[in-house]
Amino acid sequence: MYLRKINIWYLSSFLISVAVAIPIVTVFSSFFESTSDYSSIIQNTFLYEYIFNSFSLLLGVLILTFVIGVGCSYLVSFYQFPGANFFKWALILSFAVPAYIYAYSLTAFFENYGTAFTILKNIFGEGNYNSQIPKFDGMMGAIIAISFSLFGYVYVLTRASFHYQSQNLIELGKNLGFSKQKSFFKIILPSARPAIVAGLSLVAMETLSDFGSVSFFGISTLTTGIYNAWISFDDLALANQLSFYLLMFILGLFVLENLSRKKAQYHSPAKGGFKKKSKSILKGYKAVLAFSFCALIFFISFLFPVLQMLYWTIIFPKHLADLNLIELFFNTTILVFLSSIVLISFAFISNYGNRLSKSKFLEILTTFSISGYAMPGIILAVAFITFISWFDNNIVAYFKLETIKSIFIGSIIGLVVVYFIRFYSLASNGIKSGYLKISYSIDESAYLLGYSKFKTFKDIHIPYLKNSILLIGILIAIEIIKELPITLIMRPFNFETFATQAYIYASQDLLEAAAAPSLFLILIASFFILITSRYILKD
Amino acid sequence: MKKITLIVLILAFFTNIGNAAEVNVFSARHYDSDIQLYEKFTAKTGIKVNVISGKDKALQKRIVEEGADSKADIYITADAGRLGAFDAKGMFQNSMTPVIKSAVPKNFRSTNWTGIAKRARIMYYSPERVNANELNGMTYEGLADSKWKGRVVIRKSNNIYNQSLVASLVKNVGKKETCSWAKGVVANMARDSKGNDRAQILAVAAGEADLAVANTYYYALMLSGKKGAEQQAAAKKVLPFFPNQGDRGTHMNISGGGILKNAPNTTNAKKLLEFLLTKEAQSHIVNNTFEYPMIDGVEPHELVKQMGLGYKQDLNTKVVNYEKNQAKALECMLAANWK
Repeated sequence: MYLRKINIWYLSSFLISVAVAIPIVTVFSSFFESTSDYSSIIQNTFLYEYIFNSFSLLLGVLILTFVIGVGCSYLVSFYQFPGANFFKWALILSFAVPAYIYAYSLTAFFENYGTAFTILKNIFGEGNYNSQIPKFDGMMGAIIAISFSLFGYVYVLTRASFHYQSQNLIELGKNLGFSKQKSFFKIILPSARPAIVAGLSLVAMETLSDFGSVSFFGISTLTTGIYNAWISFDDLALANQLSFYLLMFILGLFVLENLSRKKAQYHSPAKGGFKKKSKSILKGYKAVLAFSFCALIFFISFLFPVLQMLYWTIIFPKHLADLNLIELFFNTTILVFLSSIVLISFAFISNYGNRLSKSKFLEILTTFSISGYAMPGIILAVAFITFISWFDNNIVAYFKLETIKSIFIGSIIGLVVVYFIRFYSLASNGIKSGYLKISYSIDESAYLLGYSKFKTFKDIHIPYLKNSILLIGILIAIEIIKELPITLIMRPFNFETFATQAYIYASQDLLEAAAAPSLFLILIASFFILITSRYILKD
Repeated sequence: MKKITLIVLILAFFTNIGNAAEVNVFSARHYDSDIQLYEKFTAKTGIKVNVISGKDKALQKRIVEEGADSKADIYITADAGRLGAFDAKGMFQNSMTPVIKSAVPKNFRSTNWTGIAKRARIMYYSPERVNANELNGMTYEGLADSKWKGRVVIRKSNNIYNQSLVASLVKNVGKKETCSWAKGVVANMARDSKGNDRAQILAVAAGEADLAVANTYYYALMLSGKKGAEQQAAAKKVLPFFPNQGDRGTHMNISGGGILKNAPNTTNAKKLLEFLLTKEAQSHIVNNTFEYPMIDGVEPHELVKQMGLGYKQDLNTKVVNYEKNQAKALECMLAANWK
């Protein structure tokens, strides 16, 4: 019975999942080798510092993204006020700003003699404003940078959930004689809980895997700790210890996310009970408050970094002239194009394989393999390089074949493979949720009509999921445009993208020069977001 | 068959195909101006320079893992401690040529790598709040003196420039002394360590602290106006001070590079290293990065000259040895709770 299930689809799905899991396994297996004395220097107290910092960062980001994300989606979902329709999509533009570029902007604006100082000086004349300007650096800086670049997850998912429930619930509250406040806390918020938790767990995973902004602000988290222990000091024992804690965090989040996803199914709208009614119209100071809150969030999350980068690009035009825009654009595009195709095709095959075989084992394997998403990119990339070199030295060399290192390390192929591992969950989950909407009876009807499995796949599933594919393709594009650590270490010679170019300038303390590539990166990502906004916000 | 040909073609396109006249540089020291410099080299010799820049340790890891198949010829990075550590792993080969040996003073090279440009890690003070008397005879050791309580800013202990500076102290005064010195410095800090070298100088300009420790080129970069008018004005509010003039001299460091053990283009790599040490290349480097030239007969940038050139450099503590004491240095700083 079981063997009958194993066909070409099952095998492909199996192989894809295993391939994606390789670097994760490598990270752990490579830690059982010899070790240096870094851990004796770093002592146990610092281990607690890493855990404490990761935890504080996580907590800070979760609180902030919760307040911002839920607050904004509540306002735009339930109320009509000036600008509400604009903010509905404008707020998702925050996805275009990577946390590390947000970090550059924060520093540029608030540092001693930074942009804030210049503005104050131009308005009020000479003076020592430095001591009055708040400093957003260190932990506070990282929390803000990460929160404002990630709150979009909570906003989008919560809004979708609110949208389906909106007026019925408000009416329910009214019938029970609840005040608006009471309705919000007793009815609306609990009913959107699964969506909020799902959004927050995505935020949490991205926060734990963040490297760019925490290393820019010099905070020791589990992620930077693993980097230092493993890559800087070859201390595999400590790296293993830290990875273990990181994995515990991540596993916890996974369980949470999966549970909330399951619950979310019960909250999908019942066909008869959903009444579309107009939103309540806010007037007077309430309208001003709602407008101000959304405007403030839009300003801080998107306009602020864009304006800071634009300001620098304008006052230091030389850096813009130095930029090889066409090449950067071409390089970025080719990575986006190849990765999207590969990711989507494989996610499709794997999901179809799972659908055909209905195997629990495959499902679990897929779930495990998508944990690449929560692995910090830099760790993933180094793990991949380690694996390829191990494979080459032991297996390829054993069969006396040509070395494969140059095919996978420092090549576009290698880059695409690691992107694949990193973003596979994005593609796979996207296709999966699309597939859930296609009833199995459609497949069966197709088979009855004499369609082969492949023909069913090609002529029925693909056209049916066209919109999902487009949406996923663009989400992948946005991620890859912003991606930094993997690109940095895996790329071929003389190959720069907007992200690596910005990093290179920033690392030589020329944030002014990093402004132009950062600005283009944000603009291109914004363009992609705008063309998909209608899918992301689908009503 | 068509498909196979296509796949082979695509593979060939995406994997780097070897080119006879080339040299591959892995660089953790990324100056845009370096690219122009490499173009000059190519124009002169016909040898194409391929570059990958990235984070120091991640690049090293990639070179180590690529092993015998690595295409990397030269590894360039800032700080002698980093070069020394990579060399200790056996990753370099003999990089010396007669030209390099005669151009670079012995103190700034080993057999396997050479300095390309120099920098000094010095102090910056506010002339308003620090009088000349206080600084008289000031040394790195003096940073732990309680008269500086709440007045000193210096960046974090994980910074390699600090690790090399403290390593040179370990070498000169011993580990025990250095560890108690580190405690004194931490007690004198005006704030928990944060930000880069430039942020330390800015903190003094803004009145957050009276004395900062930072590399020389950061100050010149600010004075140059490349960071905007505000920072230029701020830099003018502080003055540079070269410590330890009464004894061993000011702490020196380098940015440099060496030829890698598995380099496929050793001859070209040597040519590139030699080129980087010519007068033409050196003056290009110092005018763009505000470092000191590695060879004699090249003038530093005008702004660097203004900071003073006649100071005594510490030539007794060999940069080659920074690596040996870095672990001890880090241990002292961490034990002192230096963030």
